[in-house]
Amino acid sequence: MSDAIGRAEEIRSGSRRRLGEAIAAVNRVILGKSEQIDLAFSALLAGGHLLIEDLPGVGKTTLAHAIAIVTGGRWQRIQFTNDLLPADILGVSVWRRNDETFEFRPGPIFANVVLADEINRATPRTQSALLEAMAEQQVSLDGHTHPLPPPFFVIATQNPLDLVGTYPLPDSQLDRFLLRISLGYPAPEQERALLVEPDRKTLLAGLDRAMSPDDLLALAESADALHVSEPVLDYIQMLVQATRTHAALRAGLSPRASLAMLKAARAHALLQDREFVLPDDVKRIFAPLAAHRLQCHPNSGEPEHVVEEILGETPVP
Amino acid sequence: MTGALSPTTVLLVVGAFLFAALPHLAAMPPWLALVIVLAAIWRATVEVLGLRRPNWLIRGFLTFGGLALVIAHYGTFWGRRAATVLLCVMIAAKLSEMFRLRDARVVAALGYFLIATQFLFSQQLVLFAYLVVGCALVTAALMRIQRDADSAPTPVTDSPPAAAGAASVVRDGFLLMLLAVPFALVLFTLFPRLASPLWGMPENALDGRTGLSDEMSPGNIASLFADDSPAFRVSFDGPPPPRSERYWRGPVLWRFDGRTWRRLFYSNRAPERTPRPGPGAFSYTVQLEPSERRWLFSLDYPVRAPEDARLTADFELISKTPVTTLMSYDVISQPDFQDSVDLLQTMRRFALLLPEGSNPRTRAHAEELRRRYPADDRALIDAVLAWFNREDFFYSLETAPLGRHGADEFLFDLRVGYCEYYASAFVVLMRAAGIPARIVTGYQGGFWQAADEYLLVRQSDAHAWAEVWLEGQGWTRVDPTAAVSPSRIRDGARSALSGSQGWLSGEWLYQLRNQYDRLQNLWNRWVLGFDARRQQNFLASLGLDTLPPGVKAALLVALAGLVLVPLALLLQASTNARRRRDRLDRAWHRLCGRLRRAGVRPLIGETALETARRSAERIDNGHELITLAGEYSMLKYGPFRSETAVSAFGRKTAGWRPIARNPSSFNQS
Repeated sequence: MSDAIGRAEEIRSGSRRRLGEAIAAVNRVILGKSEQIDLAFSALLAGGHLLIEDLPGVGKTTLAHAIAIVTGGRWQRIQFTNDLLPADILGVSVWRRNDETFEFRPGPIFANVVLADEINRATPRTQSALLEAMAEQQVSLDGHTHPLPPPFFVIATQNPLDLVGTYPLPDSQLDRFLLRISLGYPAPEQERALLVEPDRKTLLAGLDRAMSPDDLLALAESADALHVSEPVLDYIQMLVQATRTHAALRAGLSPRASLAMLKAARAHALLQDREFVLPDDVKRIFAPLAAHRLQCHPNSGEPEHVVEEILGETPVP
Repeated sequence: MTGALSPTTVLLVVGAFLFAALPHLAAMPPWLALVIVLAAIWRATVEVLGLRRPNWLIRGFLTFGGLALVIAHYGTFWGRRAATVLLCVMIAAKLSEMFRLRDARVVAALGYFLIATQFLFSQQLVLFAYLVVGCALVTAALMRIQRDADSAPTPVTDSPPAAAGAASVVRDGFLLMLLAVPFALVLFTLFPRLASPLWGMPENALDGRTGLSDEMSPGNIASLFADDSPAFRVSFDGPPPPRSERYWRGPVLWRFDGRTWRRLFYSNRAPERTPRPGPGAFSYTVQLEPSERRWLFSLDYPVRAPEDARLTADFELISKTPVTTLMSYDVISQPDFQDSVDLLQTMRRFALLLPEGSNPRTRAHAEELRRRYPADDRALIDAVLAWFNREDFFYSLETAPLGRHGADEFLFDLRVGYCEYYASAFVVLMRAAGIPARIVTGYQGGFWQAADEYLLVRQSDAHAWAEVWLEGQGWTRVDPTAAVSPSRIRDGARSALSGSQGWLSGEWLYQLRNQYDRLQNLWNRWVLGFDARRQQNFLASLGLDTLPPGVKAALLVALAGLVLVPLALLLQASTNARRRRDRLDRAWHRLCGRLRRAGVRPLIGETALETARRSAERIDNGHELITLAGEYSMLKYGPFRSETAVSAFGRKTAGWRPIARNPSSFNQS
């Protein structure tokens, strides 16, 4: 019995060590963005999906690519365009004359890590095919249900400024993404390193898988077991409540969002090698978790600022 | 570490200032008000559009230019008006350098002061309500400033300010005002009041206020007709006198120079005989609005002068000091009384005096009348009144100015005028006919507020009538206006002049004003009228009046405490409920208190670790602080809290003191 616990412990610590290596590897490719990388891995460990919203050329795709490689699962990249069809993502059933049966040819979504590039370029119909699969962790086609392989992690990118020929994701579907991050411009010294070092493509090509999908599943399981104290639960509730009463916001966060907040905070605590969740974890994930789920009344500011304001005004219990 | 002043806060402070200053702005010269408003708007624009901040040259120009403007217009910084205008100008100038929290706090505090100064000019109910809103806004601004101070400095963003944040803080401002109500009530009723104000009101302090003056020349009273503001309110102990008997006696005028009627110095004597209150007497309380003058008004023949006033030989009531605040006095009037059964020779001469060589036609007409009624003064007067009534004399405000022979022109050419013209011409005619006559000014009529049983007399009820001295009857009231326009006396000047004014004096507005006055009356009676005497009575009704002052003061403190302590406890409980109970939190908060004293203020939304990391940059033993914060977090949020560990933590924090990096880092926030 105690031996079993010990072995589980051993496996977990091995997984944890490999996770550390994976994060370090990503940090070597994407310079100076350790906070965002932490958040990306938090989403991964919390079993949620990640939306990276930023200008072209700041390394969105490279980040997604690097994460996909180091986590070691099967990964697929889908470049979203406006003529992309749901079948291009989900797969098709083809008629096999020999057997006189339909054969399901799985689409690129059947992977552990799916990189959905420029998701807002596809039509809403295609978008919702992806988002439904994200929510259900399975694909239903022609009356058959095809489960997606766990872990299933979607990293979507979009360019917030590109408005021509795009279909902005509806707010209800933005909810499917656990966290939304943006990378921002690199600091001067990182940019210099970028200029001096070999090309990112070369670096990516040199990346090795650092862990396996099983490691991810084990870690996600142990993240769910982290201790969360009453004051931290209070804090989560207070933050959620603040979004519901804030005058600038059209609607507050849903209970699903508060559950997500708990999950993400646990994952974040795990990444810090802590056995319990601190309010600091909640604070760190609050903005990436809340900002894209909230909308302001016209002319009353941006959700990003409201979220910062709420953090600044909610006392930490 | 202090946060930066956010645009929302600046807009709120500027808005609160403009709101608080509005009544002052309305009273100052428009160009000066424009300067202030423009300065405020400019400051707001700088913030919203992110323009360059004004440099010292512009700020200096604004400050000294403002000073010069005030001096140029008022010639002085002294006096209520000039000083408050100066205050407004200087706050507007201060706005131009308000870029730090400290400056914003100064402006907000001055906002309270600015609001308090309004009461030097008026204590009306509407103004009070307006200023309560102003106070709430200033409070909201102050709260918003504090919020800026407590929030960590965020990177500069060029997004529009969150206006909704301002709305919620304004709501909180009103809530705070609401919380202050019980405290205000206790202080209002119990705080010792002085029988006389601490500072004297300068004379002529109420600028732009018209009231009945102590002389009368054409146009004097007409200027009052347009003024619907209340002059005084009367509540009677019994039924009020009929409308036609409501003559509110004010200054009595004798001397006439052909144009202006003035008082006579001899009138200031005490009366030789005063009426005796008997059946038919009226007993009433007058609440006189501030008028800057000393005149008190009463129905005919006040029995004696109220406190702090005296009764003259003409039965005028004169206050010892100008009436600068709402004044309440009790009078008993006896209508059945013969004023001056014998007329002194000197007084008789004054009552017959006319300027040499004036009004020949009136004199001729008087002589003719005298010939017709050689001995019967009464019949002569009746004949004149009948003449007024019969011939085409009109009651109207639209008159032509009169020349040297005013009475002549009026009686024979113009024949259009109002009470002043009639009273003046009538007295001239009487004097020419050898009948002693004088003018009485005051108010006539008033609006009976049936629901609250008080009589509202407005400035527009101002009136002038005549008194003639008749053998055996003494001074007798004759109102020539009543002969021309009975409706003036029956229904008031308003109805007699109806149709001559715009929609603003429409019936609905008049009704609204009457309704509003009922509120104002209650306000006057219960709030403004709550003076030292009323307070004594109130305390007496509680049986507290005989207590020595020290005990009374102690009682006041105790009562205030009775209100405040539960309030404070409630607040404490709601904010610190858990912190107070927990030993661990107590230890951490003690530590935060020490940090605060060392100049590092923990912010509201900060976790213990964040506070520690931020503070570590400013103190020398920051690493120890971070370790402590880590231990605290582990004990508080981790799964392994034990009481021994908490005790150990308590001991560790008890001995810990922040070591300031250098002396200058003290008290920076």
